Amino acid sequence: MKEYLCRRILQIIPVLFIISFAVFVLIYVAGDPVAMMLPSDATDADRAVLRTALGLDRPFLEQYGIFLSNMMKGNLGRSFRYREDALGIVFERLPATLELASFSMLLAVVIGIPFGIWSAKARNSFMDIFITGVSVLGRAMPSFWLGIMLILFLAVKNPLFPVSGRGGLEHLILPGFTLAFGIAAQITPLVRSSMLEILQQDYIRTARSKGLAERVVIYKHAFRNALVPVVAIMAVQIPGLIGGALITETVFSWPGLGQLVIQAIYGLDMAIVQAAVLVIALVTIFFSLLADVLYCLIDPRIQQR
Amino acid sequence: MTGKVLKFFAAAFLLMFFSGSSFAANERILTIAMGSDVLTFDAQNHLNTSTDCVLNNMTNMLYRKDANAEMVPELALGHEQINEKVWRFKIREGVTFHNGDPLTAEDVKFSFLRAATDTTLKEYPYFKVIKDVRVVDDYTVDIETFEPLPTLLRLVSKAGADILPKKYIETNGWDHFLKNPVYSGQFEFVSWVRDDRVVIKPYEGYWGGMNTEWDEVHFRVIPEVSTRVGELLTGGVDIIYNVSPNEWTRIGNNKGTSLVNGETTRIMLLVMRCTEGTPTADKRVREAIDFAIENKVLADVLLSGSGTPTRTRVSRGVTGFDPSLYNTYCYDPERSKKLLAEAGYKDGKTLEITFTAPRGRYLMDSEVAQMIAGMLEEVGIKVRLELLEWTSFNSLYVAKKNREMLMIGLADNYFDANYPLIHYTKDRAKGETDFSNDEADSLYKIAAKNMNHEERVAQYQRIQQIAAEERPHIALYQLKANYGVNDRILFVPRIDELSRIEEIHRK
Repeated sequence: MKEYLCRRILQIIPVLFIISFAVFVLIYVAGDPVAMMLPSDATDADRAVLRTALGLDRPFLEQYGIFLSNMMKGNLGRSFRYREDALGIVFERLPATLELASFSMLLAVVIGIPFGIWSAKARNSFMDIFITGVSVLGRAMPSFWLGIMLILFLAVKNPLFPVSGRGGLEHLILPGFTLAFGIAAQITPLVRSSMLEILQQDYIRTARSKGLAERVVIYKHAFRNALVPVVAIMAVQIPGLIGGALITETVFSWPGLGQLVIQAIYGLDMAIVQAAVLVIALVTIFFSLLADVLYCLIDPRIQQR
Repeated sequence: MTGKVLKFFAAAFLLMFFSGSSFAANERILTIAMGSDVLTFDAQNHLNTSTDCVLNNMTNMLYRKDANAEMVPELALGHEQINEKVWRFKIREGVTFHNGDPLTAEDVKFSFLRAATDTTLKEYPYFKVIKDVRVVDDYTVDIETFEPLPTLLRLVSKAGADILPKKYIETNGWDHFLKNPVYSGQFEFVSWVRDDRVVIKPYEGYWGGMNTEWDEVHFRVIPEVSTRVGELLTGGVDIIYNVSPNEWTRIGNNKGTSLVNGETTRIMLLVMRCTEGTPTADKRVREAIDFAIENKVLADVLLSGSGTPTRTRVSRGVTGFDPSLYNTYCYDPERSKKLLAEAGYKDGKTLEITFTAPRGRYLMDSEVAQMIAGMLEEVGIKVRLELLEWTSFNSLYVAKKNREMLMIGLADNYFDANYPLIHYTKDRAKGETDFSNDEADSLYKIAAKNMNHEERVAQYQRIQQIAAEERPHIALYQLKANYGVNDRILFVPRIDELSRIEEIHRK
């Protein structure tokens, strides 16, 4: 296990280099950052002066070389837009993003798993069909629409929750639910199908024939094995929640990474995009490692393989 | 287990229900919601209206624009012109920065010289006309320009002319200043959570007297327009910016909120390529396009009145504006067809043009572009409409890769025709419209240095008449800005689109 973890951690280094190069190339070819900084009707001469002052007139490889050498020193550069240390700005946003992501994930698990089990237990019943239907709806429903509807009905027409912004628990409920609904809609059918598969297994039949209570059979014997795909789907969803909760963050004015990244992309603010992408990549790698460790804990046979 | 989960949610729901009243706002706190965040607290490096909305309340300038864009003295007690390139300003005594340091001529010199010499600053292109700033005594400065500059008062009253605290910045460094900004204006900095809110409060030691109407002002960042409206309707915010027409009814029909609109300096226009070899190089073709477009329909129907037809790039409210070209337009499809025939587009020969427009940048921009394309098709012009997202659009425009016709909205935060009319000079037009007119060129150069105000205005108006006749730009309409306002607030929009807290009152 230790050797496996070391190997995975070492793999991070080339991955980060490849990501940073890809982002650099994409932003470089996307356009001229100076065009986004000065008014549309600024003169060519004014743009040229600013371009030189910011070092943007240097050849591509030289610019990338400077970026790499600074990155080695832990300096990801200064934001063109904010004129501040890019990494600092990204870290400033991370708590808001992590708060929303962890709350949404928790909510998704709390909603998704019980309904998945319920659905499996009551297979082909009205409840099973209803839960499956809602799951399909949850996957199909665009998050911005759900967010706007929740604001309309639970914040404007019935002022139960704040419309937007970050604050106490009450501010988390609507954006958290908006994100959680889509994820729970993926967890529920997954739990249902893996529970159904497991409930057919010989060892479950044995457990039942031993006279164990159905509750014990479900939660102690079947559920743990049904968790493996759930962990997999969570590991896949977390990077999306960290970097891609953009629409939900925008709808609810949640000051997280998603909003920062999209503004930086529109403004071609290379330093912020690089810093944010590298942080998101590191978080993603961390969670995928965590998921691997969790697989092993849930199912020791994986480790033996 | 499921039962427990349901109970948990029911409890949480009830908790929220009963704590709902805690969202109500404090009446001495003014909350303004904007679509985008402040970029920086460096007043000389943003070129951004949202940033200026906050900063203009925290800073002082020698002169400042009032609600009608007229320049009134702020820190300056007055000015005199020593010669045609040197202006002397007497500065108000007893002014202090928010940290208590006195504001003197040294701070004024530091601020203007920085803007005029630091090429990395976004305001540098405007302030590079300043050659030197000399301290005469503690409360007197001379500003010298490279050339005679009739627009100097416009320059010292525009964003970027804000006076910075020299001693505070030199002692603590820029990074500290940007996190703990100190100016000398009516409001001082309290906090900034990026993409969430900026909080400012009245400065007790303000030379003009402390603002006693508000305890705090919150500028909230709410990018999504329907969310901004939701906050306004529930009393979470008092004023919201940039309300799109589809939300007007919701605000107007709601008890306790109103829709308010005001003019801006932004002119939506078509940039016409006059480069030899392109179909639009023929003046008759440009004229035919202008006669095919019914500006009033665009402004009244599509924008629901959020624009006023115009034929000039200079906005109403700007020095040098020609009123005869405002609230008027050319529309005559028959004449348009005739002009096209005269230009050779007849007997089966059709004019084909590429029309580039941005999507999602200006009010209803892509809808307006589609309607214009439809109007042009009606007179027999075949239009290839290219709708681009802003980053791609702006890169294309800046790289001067515009084809026959391009739609853009240009504002003027200088408030002088000198700024917009540069487009009709040969040098500036090169590569973009390739428009060239000797009279316009020479008038622009003369007006730029002409210290006689009346003569200068007449020269700028003549250039506008030439542009309206030659059509390197076809102006469409001057945009209005729309705000949603809580009825407890008295708010009159300004043409510079800024929120000046001293002009916002509780009813």
